[in-house]
Amino acid sequence: MTNYLQDIKLICLSNSKKSHWKEQLTKQIKDPYKKELEIDAQDLLLTCKDIRDLNNIVERNQLKITRFRSHLPETIVSASSLGFETLLTLSSCKKSNQEKYPQSSSSYINNDELFKLLLHQGTLRSGENLTGEGDILLLGDVNPGAKVEARGDILIWGRLRGIAHAGKDGNRQAKIVALELRPLQLRIANAIALGPQEKPEEGLAEEAHLVGEQIIIEPAKPGNFNTAKNNANPTHTKTI
Amino acid sequence: MESNTRIILICSGKGGVGKTTLTANLGIALAQQGSKTAVLDADFGLRNLDLLLGLENRIIYTAQEVLEESCRLEQALVKHKQEPNLSLMPAGNPRMLDWLKPDDMQRIVSMLSEEFDYVLIDCPAGVEDGFKNAVAGAKEAIVITNPEVSAVRDADRVIGLLNSNGIKPVQLVLNRVRPKMMASQEMLAVEDVTDILALPLLGLVVEDEQVIVSTNRGEPLTLIGSKSPAAKCYSNIARRLQGEEIPLIDPSKEGSIREKFRRLMQTKIF
Repeated sequence: MTNYLQDIKLICLSNSKKSHWKEQLTKQIKDPYKKELEIDAQDLLLTCKDIRDLNNIVERNQLKITRFRSHLPETIVSASSLGFETLLTLSSCKKSNQEKYPQSSSSYINNDELFKLLLHQGTLRSGENLTGEGDILLLGDVNPGAKVEARGDILIWGRLRGIAHAGKDGNRQAKIVALELRPLQLRIANAIALGPQEKPEEGLAEEAHLVGEQIIIEPAKPGNFNTAKNNANPTHTKTI
Repeated sequence: MESNTRIILICSGKGGVGKTTLTANLGIALAQQGSKTAVLDADFGLRNLDLLLGLENRIIYTAQEVLEESCRLEQALVKHKQEPNLSLMPAGNPRMLDWLKPDDMQRIVSMLSEEFDYVLIDCPAGVEDGFKNAVAGAKEAIVITNPEVSAVRDADRVIGLLNSNGIKPVQLVLNRVRPKMMASQEMLAVEDVTDILALPLLGLVVEDEQVIVSTNRGEPLTLIGSKSPAAKCYSNIARRLQGEEIPLIDPSKEGSIREKFRRLMQTKIF
């Protein structure tokens, strides 16, 4: 994996209290021979805004970012939503899991009881079920006939065409977000709704949440999820 | 023990989409192209691969006797009379379902793989024991489906099971394509199916009445050198399986006036 071209420099940013990532970046960026950078944002939580700032700094130095790497799916999602190439680096326990099931894998990212995030990679096919104790981030599609259930939010980096149940223990604040929200059925807490019949606009992520007793589908607001979580639980960025 | 034999499971989940027809035609086509091919009927409950190949009356021993070691492998294999590169391993008694274990399947497949380049396993419909047995022997798979929601749903389920069994690669064949209905959007389009199943498309087979005729006669279309569209599709699939690059047919262009005229000329009404 460390087969880099000579003119790409790897910059490591970490989540340390001593220095902000901007300081770390400007310290490492001073290298006149390199034109392209690869950012390894190890356990650093970067929002879309952070990444835009970061890119501005890099461009001001007449450099270009080739790829983002991180342990955190949130950072990966923000980077790839801005059109960067990304790589999710997994911790060692997950790697062994992946070798066993090469097509799909799922594992908990955060051991915090309140905000457990279940990361699942791979498409859920008809008849398959995925249940999470906290939030679920699914990198792949949910096909018709498959079902995702979570006590918290459900985020799908792909198409939702099966059944999704967020807040299954009665959390009425839970949300369901997908790049293409075209489910057979949506459930949030105790509310049940049929999916929309018409085809959604392409390339527009959508979000379903409860308003009163009704499930409403709206264009997803980027950053909404991250900021809400950060305020509620600042330790969220900690990794195992 | 590790050989280069390609052991391919042909499955669909739903019944009646064309697993057995594909197995028979693909078997013949591969054999015609020079590969030693064995077709193994894993549908012990409702066997009919032998019927499609026209070999029903030549069966003496079955997989059951081979596993019980009351006959040798060569004795049970039925060589096709017109296509000597193709052999059929017949399914045993339906009662065999009760005692057949995945290990038995692996045993018979490894015996076959010593002698053949290709082993095609005709999988039973459903995802129960019969399916599990058939999967145990296979290395790769072809999932066949029709452009219907129920068939696509079942295929999706089967692909999930194949993935969790570590079968790779899994390829897709879309059967009974009706170009006219696809053009008028009365039928699921090819893209709709590949969108959900997310598999590489090995080939399309167009709907063709000749398939029914050949099935009833026990002469696979590819065997009699038929010029029918489905026969062409089957032999293209076989060639793609061998690594040749052949472009997929475009359903919207199929059935053009020229094509229809050509077919009309062939029917010899004049």
